[in-house]
Amino acid sequence: MNAVRIAWRITRLNIRAQMEYRVEFLLNIAIGAIWQVSVIVFATVLLARFTGMGGWDSSDVLLIPATRMLAHGLFVLFLGRLHGVGRFIQEGIIDIYLVRPLPVHRQVQLQYFPTNAIGDLTVAAGLMAGALSRSQLDWNAGRITYLLACLLGGMLLEAALFTTVACASLRFPAADYWGRWLEELLGTFGSYPLNVLPKAVGGLLTFGLPLAFVAYFPAAVLTGHGHDTGVPYWLAAASPLVGLLAYAAARLLWRWSLDHYTGVNG
Amino acid sequence: MIGSIEVRGLSRTFHTTVRRPGFAGALRSLVNPERSVKHAVSDISFDVASGELLALLGPNGAGKSTTIKMLTGILTPTSGEARVAGVVPYQDRERNARNIGAVFGQRTQLWWDLPVRESFAILRDIYEVPKAEHAARLREFDEILELSAFWDTRVRHLSLGQRVRCDLAAALLHDPPVVFLDEPTIGMDVVVKEQVREFLRHQVEQRGRTVLLTTHDMTEVERLAERVVLINHGRLVLDGTLDEIRRKYGSTWQVRATLADAHTAVVPPPPGIALLRQDGPQVVFGPDGSGAPTVHQALKAVIERYEVTGVAIDEADLEDVMRAAYVHAGPAAEGV
Amino acid sequence: MAVLHAWRAARVTPLGELHAPPRMTAVLIRLTVQVVLVASLWSGLYAHSGPTAGLSREQAITYAVLAVLASRLRELDQYAGRDSVLQHMHFGTIVYWYLRPLPPARYHALRALGEQVYGAAWALAGYAVCLAVGVVEPPKSAAVAGVFLVSLLLGQLILYFIMLLIDQWCFWMLRNNSAVLILIFAQNLLSGVYAPLWFFPDWFRTMSGFLPFQATLSVPLSLYIGRIRLADAGGQLAIQAGWVVVLFLVTRFLWRRAARRVVSQGG
Repeated sequence: MNAVRIAWRITRLNIRAQMEYRVEFLLNIAIGAIWQVSVIVFATVLLARFTGMGGWDSSDVLLIPATRMLAHGLFVLFLGRLHGVGRFIQEGIIDIYLVRPLPVHRQVQLQYFPTNAIGDLTVAAGLMAGALSRSQLDWNAGRITYLLACLLGGMLLEAALFTTVACASLRFPAADYWGRWLEELLGTFGSYPLNVLPKAVGGLLTFGLPLAFVAYFPAAVLTGHGHDTGVPYWLAAASPLVGLLAYAAARLLWRWSLDHYTGVNG
Repeated sequence: MIGSIEVRGLSRTFHTTVRRPGFAGALRSLVNPERSVKHAVSDISFDVASGELLALLGPNGAGKSTTIKMLTGILTPTSGEARVAGVVPYQDRERNARNIGAVFGQRTQLWWDLPVRESFAILRDIYEVPKAEHAARLREFDEILELSAFWDTRVRHLSLGQRVRCDLAAALLHDPPVVFLDEPTIGMDVVVKEQVREFLRHQVEQRGRTVLLTTHDMTEVERLAERVVLINHGRLVLDGTLDEIRRKYGSTWQVRATLADAHTAVVPPPPGIALLRQDGPQVVFGPDGSGAPTVHQALKAVIERYEVTGVAIDEADLEDVMRAAYVHAGPAAEGV
Repeated sequence: MAVLHAWRAARVTPLGELHAPPRMTAVLIRLTVQVVLVASLWSGLYAHSGPTAGLSREQAITYAVLAVLASRLRELDQYAGRDSVLQHMHFGTIVYWYLRPLPPARYHALRALGEQVYGAAWALAGYAVCLAVGVVEPPKSAAVAGVFLVSLLLGQLILYFIMLLIDQWCFWMLRNNSAVLILIFAQNLLSGVYAPLWFFPDWFRTMSGFLPFQATLSVPLSLYIGRIRLADAGGQLAIQAGWVVVLFLVTRFLWRRAARRVVSQGG
């Protein structure tokens, strides 16, 4: 309970700190929104041009970017500060965190308040509402529960990926570079039915960089395409669990990496 | 003229936004920010002769860095005038740049990703230093600063002491007659500090460079500077030698003497000196506060007046003197 | 002597990269994977449809792959060298830019030039490989190739000025995150890196016609694949040249304001 109180207190201070920079604060909200609108424009442009993408109905395809973006918005809000770890290490901030009586991971998360998440989430929620209203599916309690589980799973999976990059940057500060690429890959390839890609490439995005579990598999299962995703149905259906397991594993890796952290420049 | 610095009535005012406390305050500041004025430097005048090393002293926030920034041409004064080697720095930045070298504390001007020697080469070409001259000067710097042990290392892998030594060399590679050093030895170990001091002494005495130095390290001031300028709250408090500062603020010296005959101590002490304590033949003298003599004059006077078998002096060290000076020169400086 | 310092400043980035082999490996991997992904995405999208938005399958793939290669030109790890305006403002080292007899604007341009040339080497190598493997098509004629090169050069100039605007923003805003993200977003979306602008609705294309972003990539690449005919090339090149002039004047003005800002705040 105390941990929650500290987290809330620091978050409030962070929000205040963000307001200190007036233009930044408003721009930050705007950027979250604009960024996501760009993804929508992009996705809808391609949807409109290439109808029947991957054998999916276009209202079904819309569910993929909607899921991916909502999961991403949640990730940015709750666990998104991992991008900065490389920089924190360079500037010696991690060393300060290590001597404080709070978990380093939590301190990283409380570094600043992600104002842009407000914009992210607003637009993502809008897209999700649009996707659901266009959807022909019967949204019973089971489906909705599964969708919510998938959103959390997607959030955790993205967090797991960035935690892994953060672990790498504890050893190699240049790993930040990979983080930026990862974000770009998730943004561009996370929004399609991956069966339009050749098998090998689809496999790479499933087992190499598991972004298929964020939105593609959940949407496939929900819309009845679960049997032709190229992986066994049970695996696609277990996407939320995959996210949870990946995050747990990433946190273990994080703890191990912190134990073996040697600092920079002696 | 070659490397002299003239400062006349230099002032600098900053406008800042005041942040209101509390969450509601932050919201109000967001909509309607409140401005305030800060006088960082007010009406400062002093001169530095060519080939002289001057220490600019003062507590944190006194206006030292602002002064240096105006003299390097980075900052334009609100009023007043400055000339560095005959150039008005903030009016003719580029010409001034060729005349000066500068190191700002721990901020490095070296290229982070490249070996140090590459940074030196870039600077050589920017300042258009002939190759042979550059090589000779690097050799000279290397002798004292021992740079060659690590100058093929990338800057990101250097320790602080190594990096600051490289930065010092980088600032002097184009042979500037005037050098500005803003806390150059902050955070360095004693060995490196001594190396840097020796280097600076060499540059002043052998190369005739003019050096303006700010520091909080009083040992450094004692070893390097004959003259100091003391500023506080943006105003010049004192411009003089270390001895003058000692005389003005260093009222804490003591002369301890053992008298040959304990009972002759009734003789009154010389003018300006007070008898602080007596314990049998052991007596302790100190300044009486009115135009106190230096500790050396006092020692001489005591030996002349009394029959002593032993004598020792406790001189207040410069740190104590400066503490007295900072406190004396105005309300306590803002905390660190 | 001016040639010497130009050479020194320009080679900072390539030299830094050469001193960090892991970074070069990273670039190689990223470039390869990105090309493969983009090529397979577009051939996948075209699997069940004929020419769309005036682009055939081959044209679309060529466009997309070239876009990946071209964005390589200035997509290095800008922050690894700690020589960005943002970092100089953050660490307070911007003062050194104003303490040297080399104007900051020229130093910035020289550094960027070195970076562009270094990136061009990568892009060219990648292009050669893609051409050999048959992922991209060669230009239709020597005239197309020539016009493309001129247009690409102008486009890179415009791109430089846009990146410079982002950097200059840091002189006023210590933290440029949002501004940078907005500009990067605009650059990526409106220059046609993500998808050729031809796929977008008319209103979108009209809007982007008033902005400089499409002139950086979309125009040269469309010339290359023949989506803009040679007959229309003159007008497009003129628009690009116009943007170069406008952005040059704007950034020059901002450099002056930045210098005034530094001398009034002290960096």
